[in-house]
Parts: sequence; structure tokens; C-alpha cells
Amino acid sequence: MRLEKCYFCSSTVHPGHGIHFVRNDCKVFKFCRGKCHKAFKKRKNPRKSRWTKAYRKATGKDLAVDPSFEFEKKRNIPVKYSRELWNNTLVAMKRVEEIRLKRQGQHIINRLKEGKKLRKEADIREVDKHIHLIRAPGAKAPVFEKKMVEVIMADDDDEDMEGN
Amino acid sequence: MSQYNFKKITVVPTAKDFIDIILSKTQRKTPTVVHRGYKISRIRGFYTRKVKFCQQSYHDKLTMIITDFPKLEDIHPFYADLMNVLYDKDHYKLALGQMNTARHLIDSVAKDYVRLLKYGDSLYRCKQLKRAALGRMCTIMKRQKQSLEYLEEVRQHLSRLPSIDPNNRTLLITGFPNVGKSSFINKITRADVEVQPYAFTTKSLYVGHTDYKYLRWQVIDTPGLLDHSLEERNTIEMQAITALAHIRAAVLFIMDISEQCGHSLEQQISLFKNIKPLFTNKPLIIVINKIDILTMDDLPPEKKELFTEFEESSIPIICMSTLTEVGVMEVRSEACDRLLIQRVESKIRSKKVQGVAHRLRVAMPEKRDTTERDIELEMGDDYSLDLRKRWDLANEEEKYDVLPEIWNGHNVADFIDPDIMTKLEELEKEEELREKAGFYNDDTEEEDEEMQDLRKTARKIRNKRMLKTLESREKKGIKTKFPRTGKKVDKADIENTMAELGIEIQNKSKTHYATQNNERSRSTSRRAIKRKREESEVARSGSRSVSRKREKSAHRTLSITPRDKSGMRDEKMAKKAKKLAKAAVGPMHRQGIFETDRRIAVKKPKHLFSGKRKMKADRR
Repeated sequence: MRLEKCYFCSSTVHPGHGIHFVRNDCKVFKFCRGKCHKAFKKRKNPRKSRWTKAYRKATGKDLAVDPSFEFEKKRNIPVKYSRELWNNTLVAMKRVEEIRLKRQGQHIINRLKEGKKLRKEADIREVDKHIHLIRAPGAKAPVFEKKMVEVIMADDDDEDMEGN
Repeated sequence: MSQYNFKKITVVPTAKDFIDIILSKTQRKTPTVVHRGYKISRIRGFYTRKVKFCQQSYHDKLTMIITDFPKLEDIHPFYADLMNVLYDKDHYKLALGQMNTARHLIDSVAKDYVRLLKYGDSLYRCKQLKRAALGRMCTIMKRQKQSLEYLEEVRQHLSRLPSIDPNNRTLLITGFPNVGKSSFINKITRADVEVQPYAFTTKSLYVGHTDYKYLRWQVIDTPGLLDHSLEERNTIEMQAITALAHIRAAVLFIMDISEQCGHSLEQQISLFKNIKPLFTNKPLIIVINKIDILTMDDLPPEKKELFTEFEESSIPIICMSTLTEVGVMEVRSEACDRLLIQRVESKIRSKKVQGVAHRLRVAMPEKRDTTERDIELEMGDDYSLDLRKRWDLANEEEKYDVLPEIWNGHNVADFIDPDIMTKLEELEKEEELREKAGFYNDDTEEEDEEMQDLRKTARKIRNKRMLKTLESREKKGIKTKFPRTGKKVDKADIENTMAELGIEIQNKSKTHYATQNNERSRSTSRRAIKRKREESEVARSGSRSVSRKREKSAHRTLSITPRDKSGMRDEKMAKKAKKLAKAAVGPMHRQGIFETDRRIAVKKPKHLFSGKRKMKADRR
């Protein structure tokens, strides 16, 4: 039993799902669902379809090159079974997964940092230019607030009165 | 290279046809018109062309004939001999030689006349020369009538010859006429040779094909041979002799034991002895046919003695009956086997095999003592297939471990690597380094209160802008009212907006917008201003009645501020507004070009000026 990778969107194809297509030149294409299969038949390039992992890696939106990816590789030469090796592998797998996720997350945070800065600057500019829509120059607090303050004060007085 | 398919020889036309073809071709393919008045060189050229064309056509056609017919020296000796037998080698060669000479003569005729044409001085003379040339060429061809007819016959016969491959595995069937050769070939192949009670039913060689041991075998049926010397043999028998002489095949000599063919056994055996020299180096089988009429055992002992000779010389004798099909297949198998053995032996002796022999290897499987199947049969119901029992591991206890295959969307097998722990350590080290270097630090500063406030106001501003754009979009579709009457301003509206902006309005009762709507609540100061205006007007016009009327009626209209003064704080602002208004008009308006004027964007659109005019109104 093996979990495959969809050729188009790179998601996992679980057993019993999807379609395997074998081409005349003996290359096998595995698809997770009809969407990917149809896109392939329409000769779409996964590196250009925005929602695929291939696009994300190609345009640098997701982490693509990292030593933590080297651990998971389909090996064609079988290794003789030994219990110790498999136990070690299971432990190592978990740790590698943690590290990989952490690094992926950091990659995305780094990518989005620039945007944060720009948005901050845009806010400052916005306020500079269009403050007149909210507040007239020379005015202090808006009149409503003053009224509200009066109302609250009145309530307080009432409460005091009642309390007393 | 031996050619055994003569079907591609061009048709040889009769002399008359030949001439007709060539002459009509000359007439069609060369220019036909020439006048007396042309330049003499042109006339000469015209007739020269005709003569040369005719010569060329003759030459080409004759060359084709000569080259298409096989040269007796170049083909396999079997075919050469066969053709000699059928068509007489000398006659054949002579005919082709005649074609050759005819070609040569035609060439020389054309050469001579072309030379003469160069000195032709009138159209008439040139024409006569051309006529003479063509006439001579055609006469030459007329003389070849006999050769051409003969060659056509040869061609037709050649194309009908059976395609025999002299190098392929072949069985040759010989014997007296009427012994059952054609019946035999009919039985083992799909050939349909005529079988009749009279002698010499088969007049030429027939080929059939049969399969044996996954190979194709040719079977050649020959016309019957009579017992006389070689010189006395006729054409039909000679074909059989030729086949026997040249083809390396297994020979089946068929004898009729019942003597129904009209010849006794002794005669048949004497024929055999006569043609024995032809059987050297060929596997030979004596076949006794028609045993359904008379078997070997029924023969009187004297006859039997005749066969002992053959037994001594170790020539196999097989009995068969083509009528009842007894022994037919045996004969074929025996003949094929013998021929195969001989061919294989000769190939082994040749040099080519040495290069291949050492590359051949036949693998034989080893014998095993107990297979899994044996164990299964022995145990019966108790048996269960355990594939892991032969596993060769370092630790025998681990053979029957249950292995996890998948974890958290990954295949465990993809991670299996003898060096995985070392690699993991390296990775951990790298991770530590990164942490130390501050790779995972969160650099974002906490925003102070001021910044947070600023963000909030920015959000408010954006909302406000969005609302404004939505409002203006709503107004977009609404037509402007004309004439433009004074907009009634809602008092509450103004007060609200001002309050939002944080401006306190003092003296709310005395404000402009308040008095505008309320006619009664007019201040005296206002009136004073109006009065002043009226007075000046009176001074100008100089008529009291008019001014009085104006006093009474014009109050309301004069209370609305003129459009260019409304909403302006002061003179300066009013001037600037005027300036902006002028600038906003646009260059087109300033030039006197207005939106509703007719204008042609593209003076000459291509689709209206290109193409042919058809019966449509789509062109300018």
C-alpha cells in the first residue's frame, strides 16, 4: 500500500482514489480526482495553475529547497529489514516532520513581512491625506462624544442619587 | 542476384502498334504549326526537333525492352536452363540482338538527317527531309515484326512461370507419366493441378507450398518422364530434367505398383537407373503409389526382388495411396526430414556458422527435491502459504514483525535509509544553529498606542471613502434636473455632518440655511442690502413704476444667492472657482467643438474601403 502524489496538484492520492494514466512512452501519471485529470487532458501546465503546489513552489510562495525535504524520497533499492532501523526511522520521521513544518511556516512569515510594512505606511499616508473626511482642521473631539459623555455623567448622577 | 519473378517486363507492342505509338507521340508532343514565312533557322529547328524526338522515343522504348528482358547469364542457372528449354536460348538472344541493332540504326538515321536538315533552304525541303527520316525509322521497325511478336510471346509466358526459389527447401516429384505425381501434390499442398487418366496431363512445372516443422516447403510437380535418352526428350520432359538438374531438393521418385500407368515395374526401374546421375547429392525416396489397388505383399516374389536393390543401397521405400491418403503424410515427413538434415549438415560445414555457434547456449533447469507444491499436497488442509519463512534476515526473530506502512500522510518506506540517524543529527545541528542565529525570531515590534490609534482612524477614513463612492455611484444614473431649482437643504443633515467633523455651529437659529427655508425669519440686515440694490437700479433705468413692481414681486427671486456666489467664502475664492470652471471645460469646448456635434472618429475605416464592390451597400 502506497500513498502516491497527484501529478497535477501534488496532493496525496490514497488507495482506491483517483486515476492512473499510462502514456505510450510508458510514463505513468497519477491523479487525485477528476479535476486534476481533466486539467491534464486540457494540457494545462500545473506550474501555471494557481492552486497547485507546483505553482506555489515555482513562484516561491512555499518552501521548495530545504535539507528537510531530502529525507522523504522514493528509493528503488530495497534495504534489508531490521527492527532497529524501522524504529529509528519512525522516530526520525516525526522529528523531521516537525522541523519541516516549522521551516515552512517561517518561510511564509518572512514572505509576508514586507507586506505588513507597506500596509503600515499606507495607513500613515491615508491618514495624512484624508483626515479631513473624519475631522475638520482645528476641531477637537467630535460633538457626539461630548454628548455621550454628558449622558454617562447624567447616568452616574442618577445612580449616585439612587444609591444614596 | 537470381530473379524469380518475371512479371515486371514491359509489354512489347507489335510492329504496327509500335510505329503508331511513336508517330502519334511525335505529333502530339512537338509543336505543330510552321509557316513558310518564318525565319529559316526557325523552320529548320522545327523539323529537326521532330526528327530528334522520334529518334529519342524509339531509342527509349527499345532500351526499356532490352533491359527488362532477363539476361540469361545474370539469372539463376535453373531459370536460364528453363528458358533455354522453353524458348531456345539462341532465338531469344537473336531477337534481343535485333532490337539492339534496330536501335542503333535508328540513331544513325536520325543523325544523318539532322545533319542534312542543317542545310535545308526552304520549308518544302526541310519537310521532305523530315518525312524521309521518319519514314526510314518506321521501316526499320516494320522489319522487326517477327522479333517483336516472338518477344511478346516470351514475355507472356515468362510472366506465367511459377515462382520457384531455387535456394529454398524444395521437394521434387518425378516419375513416369500417370503414376500419381499431381495427385500427391494436390494432397499435400493447396495447389490444384489437373489430374486426368491420359499421359502428359501435366505439361509444365507446378509449385505448391506446404508447412512442416514451422517452415515453408516448396513442392514442385514435374511432367512425367519417359524412358529414352536425353537427346530424344521433348520440351515438356526437358523442363522436368532441368528442375532435377539445377534445384537442390529432396527427390521423390514415384512408382506405380499396380502398373495402371501403362508401364511395368521393370520399365519404371530402368527409367530410375537412367536418371540416377541426376540424383547425386540429393536425398532420395522411392515412393510406391496406388497401394489401395495392389499392396507390396501381394506382389509376386520376382517383383519383390527388384526392390531389394534399393534396400541394399539404403534408399528408403515408402508405400502410399493418394486415393485413400494412406501414407501420404509419412512420405512428406520423411522427405522433409532428410532434406533438413542434409541442409543443416552443409551449413555446419560452411564458414558462416563458426561465427554464430559459440554464441548459442541452451539452459537446462536443475532438478529440485521438494517444491512448495509438494508440501502443499502433503499437508492438505493444514497448509497455509507463508512467504516470510524463507526470509534471510540478520535476526531470525524479526521475520514475523508487523510493519507500519503509512504514517500521517507519508510512506514509511520513503524514509528508510541506513544513514538516517546521522542525517537526522546533522539536521538537528543545523536547526540549532538557525535558532541561535535568530532565524525564527519574531521581529515585529509591538505597536504603541499612537500607532494603534492611527490604524483605527485609517480604517475609519477608508470606510468613509467607500461610503462616499457608493453614494456618488447611486447618483450616477439619476438625470440632472433642468431647470435647476434651488436645492432644499435639510437643516438636520448639515448639523449632523458638522457635528461628526467636530465643528460646533454657533447661533443655529441665525444661520443662512435656516433663514433660507423660512421666509418669515428674515433679518433686517438682509433687507437693507437688497434695498441698496434696488436703488441703484432705479438710478440706471429712471422709471419708478418698474422699480416699484420689482420691489413687490422680486423679493423671493432675489433672496436666492446667484450661482457663482453661493458657497464662496470671499471674492478670492469666487475668482478661483471661476478660473477652475473655465479650465474644466476642456480644449474641445474652447475651440467651439461640443459633445453633440457630429464627428467621424475614423475618416477611412479599412473595412469600408478595401475589397471588391459587391451588391451590398457596405462601401464608401
